[in-house]
Amino acid sequence: MAAVQPPSPSPSPSPSPSRPSDLMEWIKSEVVPEGLEFRMGNENRVFVRVKPEDVDMLAERFIRKYGVRIIHVTGVDLGIPGSDIVYLYDFSKQRERLVIALEANVPPERPEVPSVARVTWQASWAEREMMEFLGVTALNAPDTRHQFLPFEWPQPAESQTKQQASTVMKPAPGAGAVPGEEKWLPVGIRDAYSSLIPIGPYHPGVIEGQIVQVKVEGESVVDADIKTGFHHRGIQRLIERRGYNKGVFTAERVCGICSGAHGLAYVTAVENLYGAEVPERARYIRTLLVELNRVHSHLLWLGVVSDVIGFKTGFMLTWGIRERIMDIIEEITGNRVNYGIWRLGGVSRDVSQELAQRVRSIVKGVGDEAKPLLLDVAAHPVLRSRLVGVGRLSYAQAFNGGAVGPVARASNWKIDVRMDNPPHAVYDPAKISWEVITEDGCDTMARTLVRVRELFVSIGIIDQCLDYLSKTTGEVRIKPREIPKNAEGIGLNEAPRGELAYYIRAGEGNLPQAVRIRTPSYRNNALIPFMLIGSNLADVPVIMGSTDQCLACTDRFEVIDTKTERICRLTWDDLVCLSRKSSGGA
Amino acid sequence: MALDPVLTAVGVALIVPISLFLGVIYSFLLRKITARLQWRVGPMVQMYSDLAPILGRSRILQPLYDVLKLFGKETLVPDVPHKGLFKAAPYLSLAFAVLAVFFIPFPGLPLLSAVPYSMIIASYLIIAAVMFTIIGPAASGSPWGAIGARREAELFLIAELAFVVSLFSVAYAQGTLTLWNLAIDVGRPLNFVLFAMAGVLMFLAMLGKLHIKPFDIPEAETEIVAGPYTEYSGKYLGMFFLTRVFLFYGLVGLFVAAFLPPLSSSLLWLPVYAAAAVLLVFLLSAIHTLSPRYRIDTALVSYSKLVIALGIASFAVALVLRLVV
Repeated sequence: MAAVQPPSPSPSPSPSPSRPSDLMEWIKSEVVPEGLEFRMGNENRVFVRVKPEDVDMLAERFIRKYGVRIIHVTGVDLGIPGSDIVYLYDFSKQRERLVIALEANVPPERPEVPSVARVTWQASWAEREMMEFLGVTALNAPDTRHQFLPFEWPQPAESQTKQQASTVMKPAPGAGAVPGEEKWLPVGIRDAYSSLIPIGPYHPGVIEGQIVQVKVEGESVVDADIKTGFHHRGIQRLIERRGYNKGVFTAERVCGICSGAHGLAYVTAVENLYGAEVPERARYIRTLLVELNRVHSHLLWLGVVSDVIGFKTGFMLTWGIRERIMDIIEEITGNRVNYGIWRLGGVSRDVSQELAQRVRSIVKGVGDEAKPLLLDVAAHPVLRSRLVGVGRLSYAQAFNGGAVGPVARASNWKIDVRMDNPPHAVYDPAKISWEVITEDGCDTMARTLVRVRELFVSIGIIDQCLDYLSKTTGEVRIKPREIPKNAEGIGLNEAPRGELAYYIRAGEGNLPQAVRIRTPSYRNNALIPFMLIGSNLADVPVIMGSTDQCLACTDRFEVIDTKTERICRLTWDDLVCLSRKSSGGA
Repeated sequence: MALDPVLTAVGVALIVPISLFLGVIYSFLLRKITARLQWRVGPMVQMYSDLAPILGRSRILQPLYDVLKLFGKETLVPDVPHKGLFKAAPYLSLAFAVLAVFFIPFPGLPLLSAVPYSMIIASYLIIAAVMFTIIGPAASGSPWGAIGARREAELFLIAELAFVVSLFSVAYAQGTLTLWNLAIDVGRPLNFVLFAMAGVLMFLAMLGKLHIKPFDIPEAETEIVAGPYTEYSGKYLGMFFLTRVFLFYGLVGLFVAAFLPPLSSSLLWLPVYAAAAVLLVFLLSAIHTLSPRYRIDTALVSYSKLVIALGIASFAVALVLRLVV
């Protein structure tokens, strides 16, 4: 199928913000005239109920006419009324902070929607997940393999004959030119024993569990595929069970590296449910922590990539600098990994003026010291020979595949949630001066440079936040109001790896009905096969590393009874029960 | 020079522990210097007093302890058609590395290097030792092993070119193929130009043969797990480690004998010999610290450009020295 033509790399500046009534009128008359029911959420979040058969046509219009991105496709299981399929579209380039959520209800007796992945490949993983976990079929989807379950499920892999194993071959997402073209990759190891290299699930170059199957001829990669599904934690369900306040801490634990980004995205989503006021000082503290988080994450990434290409010295150097950033975070929050500082309506502890002044001088020192070192590392000739031209991802591929974060910005696509659709922190250019970094190299070197330059932008933001905090005082938290029933909230944040999205739907009681997390690696990992094809086997780990993948936050978990094919999710109590049973405890 | 059978027999018996010890010390120095250059501690020269009763007073022999530990581990052999080759390769590799050491002079011990054509014999023995680190893994049936062996073979070809060209240009200028003659005779005063050029070539060959960055391509653990050694475990892996230790000693010894005469000629030169060896290991460590790993194709291209240019130049210098000066 033909790929969608992406808009030009530098989109026209977004029109001036319009009043809510004008906005609603524009959406009703022009954007989604087919809508059955329109509802305005807080902060320009618009929820439109549509017929299930219209979703692919709407997707085509949105993407071709307005050039918007799909943030996520997900579903909410309502039980007897069927499932609500939610399509989140990012319209922030058109109107300020606008996110349009299309909601289509599918009945339980005929759970089918037309495939949006046919229109834009970026929805592919989300649709595969939906088919797997909700049982809602995306009609004519380009890729219908399991996303998180084993490909062979429900048959165990060991029981299969060679014949059966070869029938597991399914069209893999298009390789080469454009995402969306169908391609066949043998999955059975016996089909291509001499040339099929499994990288993972346990491989020294990639710390987390996944399989990237690489078909090599000599040392050059001719085909590649990625399979996830090795971490299972049930975080989404845990938050649904534990409620809004405890959810803050659970959300932070989605990822150990970008814990700050997850905390902020979660509180932004919940505050979006009830339209919260957040004190100015708390906003600055939030920005400070998220940027410190970004600095240490980028340093960590630079170290990991150095290690992957065998540059141990670069690893030691960057991690040495990172350690000092971690000390600063510890001094501010009392914790190194999960800050535990996020609260609905603010933050839990203040940063005193003296602390801000002291930390400011430390950060300045670290920044001045790190700058020449990191630029030296980025300019190392052998390092350049390993990174330049490796793992190319063109602007069109990045757009169609839905890349986010530094991966998209390295392909010259200027998207940054902090600028387009900021979270509840301070990113207003009027208050803090900063810029979105882009590079046009489209390769691993560009991804490296984007991160190194972004790191110094972050240090600049940190300096301005600390300047503000050291000169003012004020409230850091406002008590949250009651959350309206059946409200819906969307929280976006630019995590170090890219756009992070939380979608929360409030239930009848004091618990969320659904919490959905779309992490940046969920998008960028899906693009890894496109970057791999045509590269050298020696470059595979560095290309995989260049997306800064984080898998623990990508995988999902549900339990499926194979005899009755009944899907059930385990609650916290069930898991506790199970663990006690298996460990022989009480 | 006529060989004294008794002295030679004593020397050969002595050189095995000496070379093992020195090879371990060189490996330790490589690790320690690399660690210090990377702001790490590395293997301790003097252990912390509270840990000394448990861990021993010093970790200078850490490379040897690693080998000893491997000898105590379970040895797994994959079920492959060429099991015999897989098992024999480590033994043969180690045997050739030990044999090569006999032909390389040590201060005060000419050993078998006084045998005519000893330089050619030593080169072949070193080549054979490396050869079996390719053949064994190729028989292991592991895709990682196969790719590692392939990379090793590619690197071997180019490192061998540097090795052979550097040795033979010196041999040609000096007019002898006996290592001992090279080691005792400085020759013409202008020879130092040749020694410098051929020494650089030999240094490059050592980087390739000892898998020092940027040429640790066959063992790139983040790319191809353990490369050639993926299927090897226990005593077989330990033997490959030992081979590396002997090769390290042998290559350093060969370097000093061929390019820094007369440091290997007499026991009196031993302190200078030691200083030269430490300096060489320091240079290797510095390169090891400062370089990321090359990709095999870039490595081959840039390596061969350098080697061929330098090789032709050093041969030309050797020719001039031999015929004109």
